[in-house]
Amino acid sequence: MTRIHDTIKDDKSAKMKARDVSVYYGAKKAIDEVSIDISPDYVTAFIGPSGCGKSTFLRCFNRMNDTIPVARVTGAIELDGEDILTEAMDVVQLRARVGMVFQKPNPFPKSIYENIAYGPKIHGLAEKKPDLDAIVERSLTRAGLWEEVKDRLDDSGTALSGGQQQRLCIARAIAVDPEVILMDEPASALDPIATAKIEELIDELSGRYAIVIVTHSMQQAARVSQRTAFFHLGKMVEYGPTSDIFQNPIEERTRDYITGRYG
Amino acid sequence: MSDHTVKAFDEDITRLRGLIAEMGGLAEVAISEALDALIRGDIELGDSVVARDKKIDELETEVDKLAVRIIALRAPMADDLREVIAALKIAGVIERIGDYSKNIAKRIGMIEGRDRFEPLTLLPAMGELANEMVHDVLTAYAARDPGLAREVISTDAKVDAFYNSIFRNLVSHMVENPATISSAAQLLFVARNLERIGDHATNVAEMVHFAATGTYPPEEDR
Repeated sequence: MTRIHDTIKDDKSAKMKARDVSVYYGAKKAIDEVSIDISPDYVTAFIGPSGCGKSTFLRCFNRMNDTIPVARVTGAIELDGEDILTEAMDVVQLRARVGMVFQKPNPFPKSIYENIAYGPKIHGLAEKKPDLDAIVERSLTRAGLWEEVKDRLDDSGTALSGGQQQRLCIARAIAVDPEVILMDEPASALDPIATAKIEELIDELSGRYAIVIVTHSMQQAARVSQRTAFFHLGKMVEYGPTSDIFQNPIEERTRDYITGRYG
Repeated sequence: MSDHTVKAFDEDITRLRGLIAEMGGLAEVAISEALDALIRGDIELGDSVVARDKKIDELETEVDKLAVRIIALRAPMADDLREVIAALKIAGVIERIGDYSKNIAKRIGMIEGRDRFEPLTLLPAMGELANEMVHDVLTAYAARDPGLAREVISTDAKVDAFYNSIFRNLVSHMVENPATISSAAQLLFVARNLERIGDHATNVAEMVHFAATGTYPPEEDR
């Protein structure tokens, strides 16, 4: 049973809703009947020890688990009221609406420009070169990278520094105008300055997109999110405003984890 | 509460709590000895109370340094963070309690004709009550006991009542014996100091409650 703080029950209607979601890897249950509402107005952080299922759960929101043959997802996940787990759901469209940023920056081995332009092109968001140029500039600007790369858009995306590559991946995710951005440890491979830039970027993007971030750094969750869910052994233990979770959690397991007592 | 995975964190917290306990113990002794010296006119004991206040001040500095170090190096969360913040504030309050005792001790030489002062007979009882508050609140701190902290808060009204009674007593004494006004005024300050000690013990109780529960005691207690 998840302990949901009363203070978030008034949150505006959810962008995404998970209902009794379970994930199996073969016979192993990795996520056990988790229900959560993802607010469009806030950054939501999933925290918990390694193996608690937080990344597995995050990947349900744009069906990334489809790529794992032994993975099976039950329950329902709604995006604006529509169940995305059905056969009829177009997964390519879904992933344009629900973008994802991974732990390790994974730019395409193409130019910076092409990295951003690829998505809008295949999704038909821009027909003419000037439209595409505008999307590239806007996406890179929103990702805080434009000033650093505007003079070398033809350079390879992989030639950028790790932090820049990650911001390029975020720019690529927002280029297709998503509604939700999922981030799986987006800064764990970056140095403190690059991390701070990503965190600042998350802050700027919040409100425009619903953002869900999985992080191992509790300080990071505390810094960037307004809602935090704590996972343990495949269950969601507690979900509430970030400031309450980190100052005065209700559940003992949450407290033990965030104060470093989890054994 | 179970131990931290990083043992040095537990050691830091234990040390912090030990320092507060030590400060509290010294403050209790200072209150009772300052009053004892006052009643008996024992200037030597008074001087020793004044001298020993330095130790409380030093401990406060040590608490400050350790608390800042813990925050910087361990980034405490939830209960741990409240614990450290509470320790920081409690140390400041106990230091003040020490100052009030020192202030009482300093006045001993300025009181003449102590046999004729009736309020002097009330002061030990008031001092005992204030000291009991300090003692209990430190026990509540050590046990992380919000219930006992609330009891301490409710005791403060009795200390205030003592103060009002002593105040009236001293004022009428001054009216009747203008020659003793200077000494009576000194005793008024003593009573005032004890009343402040009660207030400060109440502040500590609120911090103990906060550290233990994350909330402040209900208004009706305060």
